[in-house]
Amino acid sequence: MSCTNKKYLSLMNKVLDEEATEREKHELYEHLDSCNECRVHFNELTYSTELLRRLAHPQLSAAFTKSVLDQLPAEKRHVILRWGSRHPVLTAVAICAVPMSLVVIGARHQTRDKNDYVLVNVSGDQT
Amino acid sequence: MDQQEKRLIKKVKKGDQQAFAELVERYKNSVFAICLRMVGNAQEAEDLSQEAFIRAYNHIDQYDHERKFSTWLFRIATNLSIDFLRRRKSNISLDAVVPGTEGLSLNAMLPDQTEQPEELAVRKETEEMVQNEIKKLPEKYRSAVVLKYIEDLSLKEISEIMDIPVGTVKTRIHRGREMLRKMMMAGGGDRA
Repeated sequence: MSCTNKKYLSLMNKVLDEEATEREKHELYEHLDSCNECRVHFNELTYSTELLRRLAHPQLSAAFTKSVLDQLPAEKRHVILRWGSRHPVLTAVAICAVPMSLVVIGARHQTRDKNDYVLVNVSGDQT
Repeated sequence: MDQQEKRLIKKVKKGDQQAFAELVERYKNSVFAICLRMVGNAQEAEDLSQEAFIRAYNHIDQYDHERKFSTWLFRIATNLSIDFLRRRKSNISLDAVVPGTEGLSLNAMLPDQTEQPEELAVRKETEEMVQNEIKKLPEKYRSAVVLKYIEDLSLKEISEIMDIPVGTVKTRIHRGREMLRKMMMAGGGDRA
């Protein structure tokens, strides 16, 4: 453009970058009122960026995600193992729970057997 | 970055692919938009987007959780697109028409079905024109302009994605904007 004042070009950029102060905006718009050349230039810049903004944003389908997953390297470890390494305390508890519960159940059985025996004994005494 | 995303990334770092699928769902359209406007071809953009996600998964350990995940991901996508453009440049001449650009606009039209056929045709033509002008921008201006106007990112985010100072981002956007203005005003219908 032949408007020799480079200052307005940098003001235009500031405004378009949304970094201009109110005063700077005012200064630019005032200049645009009197300078045809700069006004056209600014309108053209605004128009081109508006066209860019309006470009469509196509949506990808769910098939895209599936295709990405299909191309990932196979999961290294089994899900249960992965869970195990992530929660070591819970895993330890879970593993200990099996023999512990057997012991508890076994102990209960024993006490009940004893009780039965006592009961039988008692009834035996009565006869 | 929200907490849910942080949790997802933690899971991904441990190899959870289902968590990764959720991240893909979140960002696939943005990644695709960047690649599409960088390379100008829907099929190639889709391939590049897939590659970007696969890379992100394979290199998730290199992701620094102090920064935004999208910044890191967009950086992978932008770099892959630039590499692709360089490879293509060395294969075919600069002025060659890249096949397959028709497909992208067709895709792009799908969401809005209320449009009249003439409006649709005009919009499609404008899209093609704009895409063609973007394609003529040098890569470094193109990526700055695409991130700014397609993804609507801040100058700071763009500077992190491109790994250049904010001042340089501004210069590239200003130059890119000026070049686009000139090209669009030079007839608008100029199709290389």
